[in-house]
Amino acid sequence: MATQKTLGESLREHGVTRRGFLKFCAATASMMALPPTMTSAIAAALDKARRPSVIWLSFQECTGCTESLTRSHSPTVENLILDIISLDYHHTLQAASGDAAEEARLAAMKENWGSYLVVVDGSLPGPGSNMGYSTIAGHSNLDILKETVEGAAAVVAVGTCAAFGGLPRAYPNPTGAVAVQDIITNKPIINVSGCPPIPTVITGVLAQYLTFGTLPEMDDYKRPLAFFGQSIHDRCYRRPFYDKGLFAETFDDEGAKAGWCLYRLGCKGPSTYNACATMRWNAGTSWPVESGHPCLGCSEPDFWDAGGFYQALSVPTANATHTLAVAGVAGAVVGGVAAAVAKKQQRHAVADREPVTIEQLEQRL
Amino acid sequence: MSELSLERGLNALRAEIDAPVAAFFSSCVHCGLCAEACLFYVETGDPKYTPITKLEPLRRVWEAEFTLFGRLKGLFGLNKKVTDEMLAEWEPLLYDSCSMCARCSMVCPVGNDIQYMIRKTREGMVAAGHAPEGLITAAARAVRTGSPMGLKWKTLQVQIDHVEASSGLQVPVDAEGADYLVMLSSMEIINFPEYLEAITKIFDHAGVSWTLSTDCYEATNAGIQIGNKDIAATLVQRIVDAAVKLKVKNVISPECGHAYTAVRWEGPNLIGKSYPFRVFHIIEVLEELRASGRIKTEGKEMDRLSLHDPCNLARKSGVIQQQRNLMDLVADNFVDLKEHGRYQWCCGAGGGVSSNERAAELKMTAFKRKKAQIEEVAPERMVTMCATCRTQLEEGLEDFNMDIPVVGLTEMIAEHLVEKNGDRKQ
Ligand code: SF4
Ligand code: SF4
Ligand code: SF4
Ligand code: SF4
Repeated sequence: MATQKTLGESLREHGVTRRGFLKFCAATASMMALPPTMTSAIAAALDKARRPSVIWLSFQECTGCTESLTRSHSPTVENLILDIISLDYHHTLQAASGDAAEEARLAAMKENWGSYLVVVDGSLPGPGSNMGYSTIAGHSNLDILKETVEGAAAVVAVGTCAAFGGLPRAYPNPTGAVAVQDIITNKPIINVSGCPPIPTVITGVLAQYLTFGTLPEMDDYKRPLAFFGQSIHDRCYRRPFYDKGLFAETFDDEGAKAGWCLYRLGCKGPSTYNACATMRWNAGTSWPVESGHPCLGCSEPDFWDAGGFYQALSVPTANATHTLAVAGVAGAVVGGVAAAVAKKQQRHAVADREPVTIEQLEQRL
Repeated sequence: MSELSLERGLNALRAEIDAPVAAFFSSCVHCGLCAEACLFYVETGDPKYTPITKLEPLRRVWEAEFTLFGRLKGLFGLNKKVTDEMLAEWEPLLYDSCSMCARCSMVCPVGNDIQYMIRKTREGMVAAGHAPEGLITAAARAVRTGSPMGLKWKTLQVQIDHVEASSGLQVPVDAEGADYLVMLSSMEIINFPEYLEAITKIFDHAGVSWTLSTDCYEATNAGIQIGNKDIAATLVQRIVDAAVKLKVKNVISPECGHAYTAVRWEGPNLIGKSYPFRVFHIIEVLEELRASGRIKTEGKEMDRLSLHDPCNLARKSGVIQQQRNLMDLVADNFVDLKEHGRYQWCCGAGGGVSSNERAAELKMTAFKRKKAQIEEVAPERMVTMCATCRTQLEEGLEDFNMDIPVVGLTEMIAEHLVEKNGDRKQ
């Protein structure tokens, strides 16, 4: 069923123009930092790709990830690709329910055994916790996941809940929530984190998989490097202010109005890897830091427990395994208040500086 | 002219505290991740080698004089002072246990450039008279004779004669208007003369116009290593003068990694103006020649080869794919070390550690990291492109009784060039 038509055929059936399709391919190429000449190669590969069978499982989540995708600037090639590939099974989007829905899932699995993708959003109650916290048609999330993944080619964990546990796993984690990668160890996993992830990043990852037939290069958290290779901070347009030590101290002070760095207001940009600063949100309209709000670090593990959102950078407590001490917040807040006096002092020091000669150095031997 | 003193040292530290330093110290969350990234900590397990700890003198000056909290503490006499004894205690931490490899800077979750601050703290150490003897003598020789090893042009001339006799080619000297001015390091002149022969052959093969300069032939920068901008600027200025005199378009740095970052990245800031020429590492030049089809090779190395990326070239300058493309040209059985490129572990000898005799033992301890990496992939030979790394690899492997020869990438390319009268049609 799902595998008969090529993606190109399906897209054309849905009225996607050649031009719109190429635009999508060009954007994907640029996201992956591929040369523009790759656009036609991507287009050719995607055009010929069989509609891949995708089974989308939703566990403990807020549906924000699906919303992010389906409510994005429509109608675009992105969500058409999603519409097309997600037909087989999607808890939230499909019309069928109950046993009929579960049968659709089993049928899709059987038909595409070994080649379908499983997309998961949401975390699941882990082994040892009460399975009753989240069930579908009477089956626990854990069982459904294990059963569905059995014949999958790869698993894409969409959103920070599926990738790292997310909000359900925040302290004190009443449901014993775990991430997909805590359960599935024998299949390739791609984590597309973010709360929610940027829609173009989700489809970009799928397009990359369809185009090259291989898994993308990934970082230590199994996130595709093409989209998570750089920190928010590295690409932030407020970065020059950070480098000059110019920080907004409150949300409405002169610094905030002048667009200074939001670090002191809790920005987690320096420790967050995501594509917001380059891709932006809502069809490239803006992104949190541009709208005056610090980055929350939503694509990082345990970001809910990383101290207050408005406290200058701290590290997630749950992540603090080895020698870590969670400190420094006070220091960071205090830092630089005496800047004006200090600047004068520094100017004097520079002016007073005498050049060092080798004769002086040699006296020390 | 006053003597070097604690007062001058503290003043130099103050002068080095700029906005990035202030931002870095106030953003450090004391997570300790930099420790795990530093080969000196990892191989000794001694917490005093945690990178951020090495900066304590600079941090104390910053806290006491540049922060409100520090000033308050000062009122109550609570500040810990930086004393001459403290600087003496920290001298080995700043010089013996840091190769300025910047691996710590790469992993810091808040983006603190620790290596940048090490360089700055050394400014204070020098001004306070706390620098290792080996680096002082190297710096003095570099300023007086133009070479940290005290080499004269005479020595280089002898090597040039050898190269000309064995290759039958001419080594251009003081050729005005050449495209490339080639700089060497003492180590290449003395220990690895095959490098000069290799570029003579490759440039002849590819038809590149180049030259050496009798005014300035050595570009290692002892000023950067000891941590003094006056000396560093003097040494950079010499290269600039020689290049301007010969009207060259490009300067090729020696294979030494620190020489490369010194002349390419720090140089214009040190002398306060931009260069009228461009600076490249030989690997970048070779890769450009390869890509434009100007290097024709034949035959391949069949034994299992692996590569050591010099930190200065790979992590600090982003030259990573270039050497791999060149490898592909001449090697059939290449295997990357597990952590390579940006993630490369340092060989342990950079940042002046190799010129600092006191650090010899620690340097070998740190080398265990490289050793472990090499053992993981068990190559038959190692390849690299930095004279300092190469010397350290050779010494280290010998020290640990590992029979793995080390070769230079440039020489390996030269060995596979298609003979001149062969099919070099354009
Ligand atoms: S606003 Fe955040 S991401 Fe941007 S420069 Fe400041 S700290 Fe970095
Ligand atoms: S700016 Fe930060 S918190 Fe906001 S969406 Fe991007 S990564 Fe998440
Ligand atoms: S890694 Fe960075 S934040 Fe962590 S202790 Fe080191 S300098 Fe501080
Ligand atoms: S620059 Fe390298 S050697 Fe120096 S402290 Fe950092 S990791 Fe250690």
